[in-house]
Amino acid sequence: MTAMIATFHPPLSQPGFRLFDGPLCDVADVSADQVGVVGMPSDWTHSSRLGTRFGPGALRKATTLLQSMRPQGASFDPDTSRRTVTATDWLVDCGDAEITAQDVDATTQAIAAMTEGLTVVGAIPLALGGDHYNSFPACLGYSRGLAKRAPDARFGYIQIDGHLDFSDRLGAWGSHNHATNARRISELPNLDVCNMVWIGIAGWVDGGDLALIEKQGGRVFSSSDVHDLGPVEVMRQALAHAMQGCDELYLSIDIDAMDAGYLPGTGSIVHSGITPRQYYDLLDGLAESPLGGLDIVEVSPPLDPSERTEFLAAEMLFRVLRRFRTRPEIGL
Amino acid sequence: MPLRSAPLPRMAGHLSFMRAQTKAISDVRPGDLAVLGIPFEDTSAPHAGQSLAPRALRETSVYFGWHANPQFSHPVDIDARLDIQTDGLHERLCDLGDISLGQGEAIHAALKLAISQINRNGACAVILGGSDHLSETVQTALPDCQTVQLGGLPRHDRDFHVAPLPNGYATTCKLETAAQLTRLSQWRDASKPLFVQFDLSVFETSLSTLCDRPRLGGCDLDTVAKWLSALGQHEVNAIMLTGLNPNRPGMGVVKVGQRLMVTALLAFIYARLKFGIDHLGCLTSKEEVST
Repeated sequence: MTAMIATFHPPLSQPGFRLFDGPLCDVADVSADQVGVVGMPSDWTHSSRLGTRFGPGALRKATTLLQSMRPQGASFDPDTSRRTVTATDWLVDCGDAEITAQDVDATTQAIAAMTEGLTVVGAIPLALGGDHYNSFPACLGYSRGLAKRAPDARFGYIQIDGHLDFSDRLGAWGSHNHATNARRISELPNLDVCNMVWIGIAGWVDGGDLALIEKQGGRVFSSSDVHDLGPVEVMRQALAHAMQGCDELYLSIDIDAMDAGYLPGTGSIVHSGITPRQYYDLLDGLAESPLGGLDIVEVSPPLDPSERTEFLAAEMLFRVLRRFRTRPEIGL
Repeated sequence: MPLRSAPLPRMAGHLSFMRAQTKAISDVRPGDLAVLGIPFEDTSAPHAGQSLAPRALRETSVYFGWHANPQFSHPVDIDARLDIQTDGLHERLCDLGDISLGQGEAIHAALKLAISQINRNGACAVILGGSDHLSETVQTALPDCQTVQLGGLPRHDRDFHVAPLPNGYATTCKLETAAQLTRLSQWRDASKPLFVQFDLSVFETSLSTLCDRPRLGGCDLDTVAKWLSALGQHEVNAIMLTGLNPNRPGMGVVKVGQRLMVTALLAFIYARLKFGIDHLGCLTSKEEVST
């Protein structure tokens, strides 16, 4: 009996889904230039339609399924006309942060500790929401980690979103919720509001928040701007604005910038938002950007029985992480 | 430390359209927009659930209750970069509740009586319906009225139709040319009451999904909002929302249909309140409200 217990039988594959079917790894074991995934299954800082606590799991499953449908070896990328090979060891999944319901500070610190640990060693934290509040602790940890790794470094910030999320408070939810995350991020020490850019804002916004952003030099592109100027030009201008005097970029992807007709599985849907193709073109514009950290939030599987929301979001990750996923084929 | 030091969540509490004041029908004043629900179930419809539409529309409208939410007292149209003043909305939008549905003719009689009284008081009725079967009752309450129909099946040649035809024959009517507005103005006889039927099927089906009568090749939100904004500049006696079934199998949870309808209806409401309009669909900061 003792001998049987001592015998180690590794599973043929790790149980459950990991993002892009990557290996599980502890934060402490992640190396520089790897993308480190942190799940943030929390939606209790959202004020209305919930379900985003199931977002990390849905993204892990969707990216794994999409990955299985993509060529695993050498491939031709029709968008860039380049032959590529699949990268290895480019991403590790560090699992979920510990979420403590009803304790926003404990949840915040747990998420921030993981993204800080990744940033300090030069890895790129990729945080999976969760409602958009969780973007703040993810960026908080990134900010702390960057300050330790490069004390004088500054970072720019781009938020693709249907909403500004720049309120100081939201009613009974107070100062830390899905409507205040960008405001809290703007208060981080190594970021200036003049390096913050919003893309895809739709409908009506709070006038005080908008005025405060633009007074401090921030830039806001509405969904109409994306329709009128085109996603490539919008991202070119956004990147130039965000990176003025900065060393790295933090990207926050709120999927609700996409029109609800395409993407209904999110808490705060918008209409006349940007289309899937426009969203992907925006993310393609970041392919060569100095990405230091990113998050993707507001995927709520219970709100979309068709499951297309999580696949649209998975494709967003395929796009923005393209340069990590593949390498140009040597010799061509 | 007090348990709550901030305003109560706006999602809770008494449900009225856009958190508007509630009124008795006898208290409706000239110029008011009086919201009325008709939770009527058309038992010949392919799916049950139309009677849930008034409540679904009210629940969704709460999200747009800017005027009743001190947290967002200063909305700006991000596309037009213009301030929106909502004080007039607070004064003139009111919710009368739902029609009590009885049996047979009693439903029609109650609805007809309500619409007649709202119009006698000089207000515009905003009717939250599901089934379009009661639209003819509204028409009978407005003698000799003209009807503009957005979506739905065409009823009379004398009506003004926007995307009215069944699938396969549709030529979606876009509000892109002055000629189409001119056509509306030429059709309109200001001496007659005006009734607008706004059916969810005016939208492209892939946008709404919660409609029992799908329309491939329908309008997008901007087009519908522009039509409703243009119509709101006329003296509309009643507008009726139809076609929404929030209980459509598997899709009720998504709530896209009611969000589309309420978003487009806002264009009508603000035009009726005579917020200044630069060009179709765009609001300005100049509000003309007599209180």
